[in-house]
Amino acid sequence: MTKRETIQERLSRQGVGRREFFKLSSALAAFLSLPVRDGTRVLGVDTITPRPSLVRQVRHALETKPRVPLIWLEFQDCAGCTESISRSLSPTLTDLVLNTIDIEYQETLMAAAGTQAEAAKQAAMDKYAGQYLLVVEGSVTTKDGGVYCTVAGKANDALLKEAAQGAAAIIAVGNCASFGGIPAAAPAPTQGLGVDQVITDKPVINLPGCPGIPEVYTNTVVHYLVFGALPELDELNRPKSFYGVTIHDRCLRRPFYEAGKFAGSFDDEGYRKGYCLYKLGCKGPTTYNACASIRWMNGLSFPIQSGHPCLGCSQPGFWDGGGFYQGQSAPLERPDLLAIGAAAGSGLALGAAAAAANRAQKRRARTERNESGG
Amino acid sequence: MTWDEVLRFARGPLFQVALLIFVGGMTYRLIRVLLLGWERDRVPAMGSKSVGVLKSYLKGILIWPFIPWVKDTFKRNPLIYVAGGLFHLGLFVVIFLGTAHMLVWKSLLGFGWPTLSLPIVDWMAAGAIVAMLALFINRLVNPVLRMISGPAEWLNWGVVFLPLVTGYIMTHHLWFGYTTLFSLHMLAVDLLLIYIPLSRISHFMFYFFSRTIHGTEYGKRGVMP
Amino acid sequence: MLATQEALNQFVEETGGWIASQLEACTRCGMCTEACHFYLSSGNPAYSPVWKMELLRRAYEGRFTLSGRLKLALGIEKPISDADLEVWRTIDYEACTLCNRCSQVCPMGIDIGSLIHGVRGALAAADMVPNDLEQATQKQIEDGSPLGVDLDTWKDRMDWIQDEWDVELPIDVQGADTMAVFTSIELMKFPSNIAYIARIMKAAGESWTISSKGREVVNFGLFEGNTEHTVLFLKRIFDAAQELGVKRVMVTECGHAYEALRWTSFNLMQVPEGLEVTHITGMLGEFLNAGRIKLKAGAMDDRPITFHDACKIQRKGGHIKEPRQILNILAPENFVEMTPNREEGICCGAGGGVISIKEADQKRYDAFELKIDQMDQIGAQRVAMACSNCRLQFTDCVQHFDLDWKVYGLSQMVAESLAE
Repeated sequence: MTKRETIQERLSRQGVGRREFFKLSSALAAFLSLPVRDGTRVLGVDTITPRPSLVRQVRHALETKPRVPLIWLEFQDCAGCTESISRSLSPTLTDLVLNTIDIEYQETLMAAAGTQAEAAKQAAMDKYAGQYLLVVEGSVTTKDGGVYCTVAGKANDALLKEAAQGAAAIIAVGNCASFGGIPAAAPAPTQGLGVDQVITDKPVINLPGCPGIPEVYTNTVVHYLVFGALPELDELNRPKSFYGVTIHDRCLRRPFYEAGKFAGSFDDEGYRKGYCLYKLGCKGPTTYNACASIRWMNGLSFPIQSGHPCLGCSQPGFWDGGGFYQGQSAPLERPDLLAIGAAAGSGLALGAAAAAANRAQKRRARTERNESGG
Repeated sequence: MTWDEVLRFARGPLFQVALLIFVGGMTYRLIRVLLLGWERDRVPAMGSKSVGVLKSYLKGILIWPFIPWVKDTFKRNPLIYVAGGLFHLGLFVVIFLGTAHMLVWKSLLGFGWPTLSLPIVDWMAAGAIVAMLALFINRLVNPVLRMISGPAEWLNWGVVFLPLVTGYIMTHHLWFGYTTLFSLHMLAVDLLLIYIPLSRISHFMFYFFSRTIHGTEYGKRGVMP
Repeated sequence: MLATQEALNQFVEETGGWIASQLEACTRCGMCTEACHFYLSSGNPAYSPVWKMELLRRAYEGRFTLSGRLKLALGIEKPISDADLEVWRTIDYEACTLCNRCSQVCPMGIDIGSLIHGVRGALAAADMVPNDLEQATQKQIEDGSPLGVDLDTWKDRMDWIQDEWDVELPIDVQGADTMAVFTSIELMKFPSNIAYIARIMKAAGESWTISSKGREVVNFGLFEGNTEHTVLFLKRIFDAAQELGVKRVMVTECGHAYEALRWTSFNLMQVPEGLEVTHITGMLGEFLNAGRIKLKAGAMDDRPITFHDACKIQRKGGHIKEPRQILNILAPENFVEMTPNREEGICCGAGGGVISIKEADQKRYDAFELKIDQMDQIGAQRVAMACSNCRLQFTDCVQHFDLDWKVYGLSQMVAESLAE
């Protein structure tokens, strides 16, 4: 295999000067969201201030590594995650594509279609076997032989397994690819699955969200590029740097929660004053994501800031999490009145039976006493 | 199984089952006592039975928890009065006037109500926890309580203490993850719901029997100045 | 095992919703203990009220509840044994006066006193009544009085009182309004009481009588917990009342007799239609309010004087205002209340049959030390009461402890202070 041109070489070829290159390295390093110092966290949190040596590391990676080939598959999806990544502003997708990654296959964005597209994918898989990043969007369905999601006549799980074989790393973007998402929500006619429920022999990074934050996507890719390894993951295989804290823990409305000032409805006084949205169903306390810290649109805002309670979209099963506007402390389902009635009814019947048996005992005791002459 | 899955189970199907057992069990206990046979009271009353009942409830709920020193027995054992009262008050405030719990009632009943701010509820919860610890130690140390306490009494304490303490740790994000504590809290609550009809924690239902009987008896006899 | 079986049957038979719901309400908090004078004076945890009714709980749970039956089957709870009955006989008859103070402090409002009485009922069914009590009851059955005062002795005694105090005691007067029933304690230990009450009735212009048939108001069947005996003794009084055609029966200075006649009889037997039951304390109040008797104001106002609330007349009888009304007239400056008082008053330690049981003497004296403390606390050396059993205990303890006290009966004070 011929030695591939490094990123820095390519940039230089395109006329990007040394100073620009340094800036790019710093920018990328900044958004890797890595710890300030080795092994310590400030206030229990990963800050986004890079160490000087980190910038050097990024620069070194850019200087020595070629662009990473990337294959992006979509299954039962809405293409929302594609839309999301294309809105990334730091770095922009353009930056990414131009500078660090080499997208070989992306159904929504690529110009080619049909057999040409499929051929391109196969060629990339062959050429870069063992080196390409596999990104998956949308959930997989294996029900009835995977017939509910096919591309070019092939079932989605077969396509996934095939692509996974030669992948250096697998990233599942969005809740659907991570945990099943919408197709896994009740009644789930196709029984949508997350990628790691189908690919069980290789590590999968989950970047859930509906969609996920653009910068989370792009910077995870950069992390892989710079370090050649997966970032530290939590128990649901999400990068701790972005999914390590809950929305609640970074929410700007937290003081209102603590003080017990809540919005009661979507247009009452509390709402207009920007009070906490817990009563309107905010799932912030149990939702791990970077929405409250990195936020959206390059840090412009996030749902709660704009007045909508968090849906918990980076958590498994959030669609069945008890209703978007029902308080999180409430039980997941409204109790079935019929069942409650049946329970009370059986309690009544059994209680009456027990009481009757006890009354019979009393009568027997009285009879025994009378017989024995009391 | 991840804590997330545990949480969804504990808040979902397990809670539903626990609720059914609670409703069925309490109904069973109620009916079993209600239908055991009640004799008509043929004694002519000297005072008013209904006034006696009213005063009994007022004294029991309003005066008792807040002005225990009207009773000479308070001076002899202030711990049980203060700790018992603080525990019940804290529990009541947390369960009915805490926002998170009010939302649970709202989902079950269809309507909610105004609640107290977190710091107040928090202090009440802390007070309740301290009171429970004091009562636990007292039950260990006091010779009378040791004698009348069996495994049931210790279990009652534990099953009530768990939700209280997990809720507190959870609210304060003290240890482990929020989801973990939330799961433990829900599991503890489910256990409590299932255990109540099997135990003396059900006394909150029978309170209405004994208090009414007390008020009727003493009202009838014209006592209750 | 026969004794235990009888007891169990009685437990089962007497347990209805009233008892069951209260047993279910108990949370074993132990607050009742702090109210019990036997516990407070001895520190013995077995005297805890909740423990005294433990047998009832065990019987109820073991027979009527699933969990109770399960615990028995698994050996977590033991079945009630003969040995258990022995233990509970001691604590329920000797260390409990059925004063019901525990019922007042129970946070659930459980009528613990009545439940302990239920245990006595079962013990009685198992023939486990203490000897002294049983013998006294036997005397009441045969002679008509637990002190063995038969009709002849009674007649003699009544004659002597009429002479000694120069009072008229109307016996067996047909058609009188009120029939007073005295206790043989008054008759034998405080005979002046009968004279005093006669004086009061005369001053009030009450149409009254005493019955030779219904001459004993004390009810040892109630102490035993034996319904049959209780009803037997009640019937004598009610039959007499019916025979004489009186409108009302007045219990004189006795506590548990009022409990039996006024608050229990109607649920145990057929009480003659329209017959009223009242207590001398209540009548004193009525007479005063109607102006039928007048008292000399300040007649007893020379030194501090207090009032001892009798458990069955004040706490369970409701006659709390009348004694205070009287004492406020007789000692407006010097009447002091003990602490606690009224329905929370501390029992004298001798009621419920305890004073009749020799084995209980030491417990009774220990309990009385609480009363001594109460008196010392307010600096009083004079005390009045409306129950002659309390009076018996007080006078006995004054002697036992060598106290410098004066003990008065309420009727005595009223009779001695009548203004004309």
